[in-house]
Amino acid sequence: MSKLTTTDLTRRFMGLVAVNKVSFSMDEGEILGIIGPNGAGKTTFINLVSGIIMPTEGKIEYKGRDITYMPAHERARIGIARTYQLIHPLENLSLLENVMVGSIFARGKSLKAARKQAEKLCAELGLENLDRDPSRLTILEVKRMEIAKALSNEPEVLFLDEVMAGLNADETKDLIATVQKIAKERKLAVGVVEHVMGVIRELTHRVIVLEAGELIAEGPYEEVSKNTRVIEAYLGGAA
Amino acid sequence: MNRSTSRIITMAAIAIMMVLPAFAGDYPLQVARNVMMYMALAITWDMLLRSGQISFGLAGLVGLGSYATILAVVRGGMPDWLSILFAGLFSGLVAFGIGFFILRLRHTYFSIVTLALGEIFRIIIHNLHDFTGGPEGIVIQQGVMFGGKSGPLYWLTLAGLGVALAASYWFEKSKFHFALTAIRNNEVSAKTSGVNIFRWLLATFVITSAIQGMIGGIFVQSYGFASPDSVFSADFTLLPMAMALLGGIHSTVGPILGGILLGLVSEWLKLQIPYGHLVVYGLMIIVVILFMPSGLLGIARKAGSRKSTDENQRRAV
Repeated sequence: MSKLTTTDLTRRFMGLVAVNKVSFSMDEGEILGIIGPNGAGKTTFINLVSGIIMPTEGKIEYKGRDITYMPAHERARIGIARTYQLIHPLENLSLLENVMVGSIFARGKSLKAARKQAEKLCAELGLENLDRDPSRLTILEVKRMEIAKALSNEPEVLFLDEVMAGLNADETKDLIATVQKIAKERKLAVGVVEHVMGVIRELTHRVIVLEAGELIAEGPYEEVSKNTRVIEAYLGGAA
Repeated sequence: MNRSTSRIITMAAIAIMMVLPAFAGDYPLQVARNVMMYMALAITWDMLLRSGQISFGLAGLVGLGSYATILAVVRGGMPDWLSILFAGLFSGLVAFGIGFFILRLRHTYFSIVTLALGEIFRIIIHNLHDFTGGPEGIVIQQGVMFGGKSGPLYWLTLAGLGVALAASYWFEKSKFHFALTAIRNNEVSAKTSGVNIFRWLLATFVITSAIQGMIGGIFVQSYGFASPDSVFSADFTLLPMAMALLGGIHSTVGPILGGILLGLVSEWLKLQIPYGHLVVYGLMIIVVILFMPSGLLGIARKAGSRKSTDENQRRAV
């Protein structure tokens, strides 16, 4: 069953069309790669579906419900979560408290219940010493915290915006396994933006390719990576 | 400084304030009343600051509450006690109304609009001559509460401070703490976690404004008089801000510490340089912001963490 669908989703910034008539859908349990060269509109696309910015045209549906202009905090409540490329841990809150926020506000849990839930999530993601200040975490721990924070919304759709960036090969492998596990256990629909094609190949069931805001290809990674338009997009038309 | 140290300081300050009337004379009690009033304002100012919003509207709300109380008593014949609660209710309602518009603003824009609103309240009251008494002000003819006795007035002011302290403590222990901290850190990521930013800011603005208005009511009931110059005084904006900054922001204990220190210093300064004390507060704010941005609490915290690092190193050796 399709969880999230967009129809002709478009966002213009002044004269620039950052996302241009993108139609796609994401199914339960599916890990979808969102790839494309720099400036292709990947992050803008995630910002649109998570409600951080509003579309100029088009439609977004979540489980058959029109959410095109729904505010971001309400989308968090109905089951859409995401991480950010630039992670800003909440200062003055401990690691555990950072992971409580989604439970408290997206799920409306009491502080006590949220604490319990956050402890569970941190254990699941292999995070320890939960009263630490987030500034003391390693980069891998920060990424795990960011995922735990998103999961505290108890989402059905999760977007990961370059969550593997800055990790070494072992750490990346580690985090790929984690994402696969949480996605499978929760039957999550996961949208993954990554620049490292190895990650996309291993992690995703299907990819969509954006170039200059347009969806130019769609399908399994092996297929898409042979698509001449995709190769051209990545090589700047030199091929 | 850890949480238990903060609690000890808070408790000690409250204990001192509770026993003070037993051995202090009228003048020290009056000084203490002023300090407590400014401290209550500092705490409520800090409560909104925890969301990242810097208000310059303290004097405006104190003035609004002051006039709500004195006009309710003089024009409406409201009982003294009730008039103080009325000031809180009235200021809270006004904050609710204007909050819908100004809480969409951020940073400098929000600060300047709060400053301008205070000025608008002052000008309206200044010009409604027949109703408010205009620039000459208005006097409670039947006299002030408790016949102006400094003992009961002290307890009244302490009760006002108690309300501010209780609200601040509640903010620290409830969902407000998470909501305001998330908003201050990053609004975009707060939204993604389901925080309805506008709702939490509005609630905070209404609660802190109501307490600020109530403090205005207590001020007026203590002195029996209000004029635009006295109740919209810049002191009400600058002194509480300086107290919170000096003590350490984003906490309850910071404004208490800063309040005690600066409150006593300011009383002394008022006697020494009656027309120049505001210059000294201004300089103090500048020095604090430049050299100790986290206030006394920040310095204590730094000293504390240095000590624990030293201990760790010693243990490692």
